[in-house]
Amino acid sequence: MKQLLTLKRLIVRIGLALVVLVAVMLVCSLIGTEEVSLKAVFAGPGTRATVNPDYDIFIRFRLPRIILAGLVGAALACAGVVFQVILRNPLADPYILGISSGAGLGVIIAVISGLNWTLWGRSPVAVFAFAGALGTVWLVWFIGRLTGKFHVTGLLLAGVVVNAFFSALMMFLTSVAKSDQVYSTIFWLMGNITEGDFLVLWIGAGCVVGGIVALFYLGPQLNALSFGAEDAGSMGVNVARTRIIAFGIAAGITAVAVSLSGLIGFVGLVVPHGVRLVLGPDHRQLLPLSGITGAIFLIIADSVARIIVAPAQLPVGVVTAIVGGPFFLILLVKYSKKVSWLT
Amino acid sequence: MSGIIEVENLSFGYTPEAAILKDMSFSITRGTFVAIAGPNGAGKSTLLNLICRALRPDSGTIRIDAAAIESYSTRALAAKVAVVRQELVPIFGFSVMETVLMARTPYYDSMGFESRADREIANDALKATDTARFACRPLTSLSSGERQRVFIARALAQNSLIMLLDEPTTFLDLKHQVGIYDLLKAAQVEKGKTIVAVTHDISLASQYCDEILLIGAGGAYHIGKTKAVLCPEKIKEVFDVDVFAGRIGEENFFIPLGKLAKNSRKTNKELGSI
Repeated sequence: MKQLLTLKRLIVRIGLALVVLVAVMLVCSLIGTEEVSLKAVFAGPGTRATVNPDYDIFIRFRLPRIILAGLVGAALACAGVVFQVILRNPLADPYILGISSGAGLGVIIAVISGLNWTLWGRSPVAVFAFAGALGTVWLVWFIGRLTGKFHVTGLLLAGVVVNAFFSALMMFLTSVAKSDQVYSTIFWLMGNITEGDFLVLWIGAGCVVGGIVALFYLGPQLNALSFGAEDAGSMGVNVARTRIIAFGIAAGITAVAVSLSGLIGFVGLVVPHGVRLVLGPDHRQLLPLSGITGAIFLIIADSVARIIVAPAQLPVGVVTAIVGGPFFLILLVKYSKKVSWLT
Repeated sequence: MSGIIEVENLSFGYTPEAAILKDMSFSITRGTFVAIAGPNGAGKSTLLNLICRALRPDSGTIRIDAAAIESYSTRALAAKVAVVRQELVPIFGFSVMETVLMARTPYYDSMGFESRADREIANDALKATDTARFACRPLTSLSSGERQRVFIARALAQNSLIMLLDEPTTFLDLKHQVGIYDLLKAAQVEKGKTIVAVTHDISLASQYCDEILLIGAGGAYHIGKTKAVLCPEKIKEVFDVDVFAGRIGEENFFIPLGKLAKNSRKTNKELGSI
C-alpha cells in the first residue's frame, strides 16, 4: 500500500539522499588523472615550501569542480520539475522557453566582440550567457502574456519560435565568425564544467540552494496546479502568484546554471521524470529529491567526462545524454504504470 | 432572508457584440439543490464559471454569502465555493487520497503539510462518496464514474458552503447517474450544502432538485420550483423540442419527442399507414 507523504518521511528521504550525495562527491573527488588519497588530504595544506599536492588538487581543483557540477545538476533538475508542471507538459525542460538559445546568442556575441574584462572572476561569456538567458525568458513570458493569461499553448509557441529565431541568429553569427572563436562557442554549447573560483561558487550556491528551498514551499500549490489553472484556483490557490514566482525562480536558477556551465542537456528532462516515476508526483518531495538526484547525476557524469578520455576532457553534455538516455528508458519501462501521461 | 448566491443584472459575452447572458437576476437560498438546464451554448457553464469567478461579468453583480464576489481572496472564496468541472485528469499520476487532500491546500502548515484534521476531513469525504476503497490507487486507473466521485469528494473536502458542478453525470451510466445524485442530495440534506449543478437530464433534475434555472439560447430564462418551471410549454420554449410529460407517483419525467420518433404525431401523419 502506498503511504502518504509526511514531513517525517520526507526528511528521512532527503537525509538518505544527502548521504548518497556526499558519498558520491567524496568518491568522485578522489578519482581522476592524479590519484588523491584522503589520508594525505587530511594532512593539511603543508607549508609554503613543501606544498601538499594531494591537498592542493583536492581543495583547489577537484572540490570546486564537483560542487559546481552538483549545483548545476540540482538547478537544472528543479527547473525541469517546475517547467513541466507550469506548462503541464511532460516534454518540457529548462530550455523549452528559449533560455538555451538566448544564452547561446549571448555567448557568441561575447566571443565575437572579443571582450576581455571580468566580473566577479567570470569572463564576459558567462555574464552574456546569463543576461541572454534571462532576457529571452522575459521576452517569451511577455509574448505569452499577450496571448492570454492562462494560455499555456501561447507561452509554449512563443518559446519555440523565439528559440528558433535566436538559434538562427546564432548560426548566422557562427558562420561569419573566425574558426577559433567558433570552437570555443561550440564547446560551450555542448556543456562544459571547469574549475571555478570559490567566490563564484558561493554566489552560485546561494542562488541555487535558495531558489530550491523557495520552490519547495510552493510544492502544494504546484500539486494543485497540475490539475490546471482553473481547478487550482477554485481550490483556493493563488494561481497567478504561484506561477510567476515559480517561473521566475526556475528561470533564474537555470540562467545561473547556464552561465556557470554552458548548455548541459538532458538533466532537466530526465531527472524529474526519473524521480517522479520512482517516488510519485508530489512536488513537496519531487523538488528536493530531484535537486539532489540531479546533483548526483551531474557529478557522476562530469567525473566520467574528465576521466574517460584523460588527459583530454569530454564536454559533460555528451556524457549526460549517453549515460542518461538508456538509464531513463529502463526506468520508463519499469515504472511506466505509475504515470498518467503514458496512458 | 437573502440568498447565499445573489445574481443581479448579470450580463456576459465572450465577444462584446454577442452577449450570451443578458440582464440575469436571481437568488439561491442557502441549502437548496438547484439545477441549471438549457440547450448547448445557452451559457450554463458560463454562468457557473461566473459564480466561481473563473470569468468576470461584463456588467451586473454577483454576491456570495452577502459579500460581492470581487471582495473575496482566492482562499476565502474557496471556503465558500467548491467546483467540480467536467472530466479532468491531471498530467501526473496522483493517487485518489492525494487528490482529495489537495482541497486542503490553503490550510496546510508552514512546511506545506496537512494537519491531522485535514486528513480526517479528507477521509470523511472519501467515505461519504464511497471512494475510500481505492484511496491509494492512481486517479488514472479509475472509471469515469469513480473519478467523478473522487472529484466530488475533493469538493466536499473543501468544506465550502456551496458546491458547483458542471454536468456531473454526462458520461455516466444509469446506475452511476443516480448514484451521483444520491450523493449530492445527501450532501445537501446532511451537511446543509447549497448545490448548483448544470445538467442535461431534466427528469433527474426534477426528481432531485428543489429549484431549476432554465436558460434559453436567446438569453431568456426561468427560475423557480422544479414543479412550477418544468412543464412541456416552457421546455418547448427553451429547448425547442416537444416533450412527453409523465408522472409516476411523486416523480415527474420528461421524454423528448423528435419528428420521427415512434409516438410523434408528425411521424404518424407524414408517414401515414405504418
